[in-house]
Amino acid sequence: MFRDLTLGQYYPVDSVIHRLDARTKLLMTLIHLISLFVARDFLAFGFSAVVLALWIILSKVPFGYIARGIKPILFLLGISIFFNIFWTKGEVIWALGPISVTKEGLIQAAWMVTRLVLLIFGTSLLTYTTSPTQLTAGLEQGLYFLRYIKVPVHEIAMMMTIALRFLPILTQETNKIIMAQKARGADFESGNIVKRAKALVPILVPLFVSAFRRASDLAMAMEARCYHGGDNRTRMKPLKFTRADYLAFSLAVLYFVIVILI
Amino acid sequence: MEPIIRTEHLTYDYIVRDDENAVENVRRAVNDVSLNIKAGDFVAILGRNGSGKSTFAKQLNALLYPTGGTVWVCGRDTADEESLWEVRSSAGMVFQNPDNQIIAQMVEDDIGFGPENLGVPTAEIWQRVEQALHAVGMEAYAQSSPMRLSGGQKQRVAIAGILAMQPKCLILDEPTAMLDPEGRREVLKAVHELNKAAHITVLLITHYMEETVDADRIVVMQSGSVRMDGSPREIFARSDELHEMGLALPQAAELAGRLRQEGLKLPADILTAEELVEALASLKQAEAMAQKPMQTASEAAPKAPEHLSELTLSHVTYEYEPGTPMETVGLDDVTLTIRQGEFLGIIGRTGSGKSTLIQHLNGLLRPTRGEVLWNGENIFGEKFDRRALRGKVGLVFQYPEHQLFEETVIKDVSFGPKNQGLTENEILNRALHAMEAVGLSQDYADRSPFDLSGGEKRRAALAGVLAMQPEILILDEPTAGLDPIGRERLLETLLKLKAEGIGIVLVSHSMDDVAENADRIVVMRGGKKEMDGSPREIFRRERELKEIGLAIPAVTHIVRMLEERGYAVNGDALSMEEAVQTILNVWSD
Repeated sequence: MFRDLTLGQYYPVDSVIHRLDARTKLLMTLIHLISLFVARDFLAFGFSAVVLALWIILSKVPFGYIARGIKPILFLLGISIFFNIFWTKGEVIWALGPISVTKEGLIQAAWMVTRLVLLIFGTSLLTYTTSPTQLTAGLEQGLYFLRYIKVPVHEIAMMMTIALRFLPILTQETNKIIMAQKARGADFESGNIVKRAKALVPILVPLFVSAFRRASDLAMAMEARCYHGGDNRTRMKPLKFTRADYLAFSLAVLYFVIVILI
Repeated sequence: MEPIIRTEHLTYDYIVRDDENAVENVRRAVNDVSLNIKAGDFVAILGRNGSGKSTFAKQLNALLYPTGGTVWVCGRDTADEESLWEVRSSAGMVFQNPDNQIIAQMVEDDIGFGPENLGVPTAEIWQRVEQALHAVGMEAYAQSSPMRLSGGQKQRVAIAGILAMQPKCLILDEPTAMLDPEGRREVLKAVHELNKAAHITVLLITHYMEETVDADRIVVMQSGSVRMDGSPREIFARSDELHEMGLALPQAAELAGRLRQEGLKLPADILTAEELVEALASLKQAEAMAQKPMQTASEAAPKAPEHLSELTLSHVTYEYEPGTPMETVGLDDVTLTIRQGEFLGIIGRTGSGKSTLIQHLNGLLRPTRGEVLWNGENIFGEKFDRRALRGKVGLVFQYPEHQLFEETVIKDVSFGPKNQGLTENEILNRALHAMEAVGLSQDYADRSPFDLSGGEKRRAALAGVLAMQPEILILDEPTAGLDPIGRERLLETLLKLKAEGIGIVLVSHSMDDVAENADRIVVMRGGKKEMDGSPREIFRRERELKEIGLAIPAVTHIVRMLEERGYAVNGDALSMEEAVQTILNVWSD
């Protein structure tokens, strides 16, 4: 059931954007995020939206998929719209008893929504066009310089890789354990909070035991394959900047300058 | 020639320390082992669980270092830290659980992991990955996610991951224990090919005797020491010693041994079905006897308790994720009745719907279409108490020991009855009774389930379901990963339970287990019920079974071969006893 569960949501097609180096895309996403907070008026947001739309078209990812990213934050979006509209002081447009809607409130809410939506779209584009493996490699190689200030970049990247690999396995395992305990008459659905929390023990203990067993198995398997940390390691798929990367990066910088100037 | 692996007086102790770091307990896992392994050999290591096989293997890969004695791999002392990477890359190791040794999210990335660690240049890594994929026949899956592969395929990827380090020797620690028969064949074939074509030395640790028949040499370990060492023929001729050590023989060798005991003058070193048939044929140059095959007596109906509960699936169809693009049919219009007191075997290949089927039997899954009836009552009816049903229809999942969670065995076993809302006294009674039924004495009650051995854990988990006093007990691959004696004990327990009037449903890959014990067999294929009948009826349809990818029991295969040669044996013999009987009927007079 959870066979395809991964963090992120890679959309595997071949496009110019997909072929870009993960580091380039990470950097571009960062520029995009900063630009959203630098932008001061709707003209800048409009420009940002148009540029993002062009990137999305280039990426060949259907727009519907990108829009899907909004779903999990709809609730958050609704709440912030609500508070912005009704709780911002200013020029009253419409009022009913203690409730009033102000012009500033409406603008604030629109501002907020645009910013959040563009933010989500931009980061979704990154995860749709970059596989988790590339992303991890990009982070590792892009942030490698941090090693000089004793940040264990390689180790963190390795942890991410392993987490990505084992998350679906542990999800499957959780389902199996739930089924097995249900078969022994366990009840997860009724009772108050305390009872329900207690009902989790028969799931969590086996899950932890299994996770530790897997971890120790994996550690042994990695040692057997001569793993010894990040030093003196070569790469099967080293990241390489190509001309397309430099071009994309220049365009992103140009975009950023324009946003500031607007 | 210098042996590729050499151990001299190798000893290893597991040292348990208490909180103050003082030695609390020393357990000798490997005891004075001196062995030479010749380059290019295929060596099988046999032994019961806990005989020190795995610990020994880990020494050869420098995952553990000797407490005493020395290990040389390709002339290098494994205790010498400077040669660590050379030792590990020249004696690569593959482990039991295919999932727990694959690191990357894409097959080719994973195979490249070893060479990356060794600092191999990028271009050469690609070459090696390609060669390794080719060697195990997985080229087509280079870009796949390991989650999408079968167990056998995953294990082949794990082997390729080792091959990419260009080892001289491959050590496999029970690589097939968690696989279905097909996966097992795939992996063994790949390993044999590597041994023959690439001249890689192979050390195969296994519980499956059939896998060792083609080895050049077998080493049998017991309590950390080498008990026997020789060719398969030499080893399997010493059947009494093997039995005494709790090990089994390949079925053909076992049958030959029994017949020898009954006075037939067969050679002592028979290994395969073909050899046995030849030997029997030359023993009796005479023509087949005209005498009709004897009807075996074992088909008497089991005596029935007064009230028999009945569980019926009526036209059950189950779809996974209906309405999504990932919709797949798990079950397709299955109708089936299971009665208390019978022993039903369910066989079929991985993915044929067996597991989906049994999860319907106690209402864990709800049919997309069709009904499940307990004594005629729809279990998804409004007033039906499904939790109570789960006490009546016990379900033991695969590797049930992974669901143990309590501090003590008795508490864990009590979990089911406690959920049934029984009184303290009744709970304790049932728990103790269940432990007794699976052969765990009262001494185990206060021990932690996590300190038990593999086989004991399995039995404790089984007791946890039995304690609910089910009328029908369903088990999914209960013998997977157990050594021969563990397997035998578990099956004995099931037969005992059946004699007490409990209905048993056994899902298994082992045709031998099902054929010997079941009253009735259901064959699943592609979510459909393909066959349903007595073992005799089912295994008569040999060709159809082969088409599905299933085999007939090893002994049945032997008597059929004899039958084809014109001997008047009963070709329907399914168990060892029946085979011995029918062959003796023809051969001794």
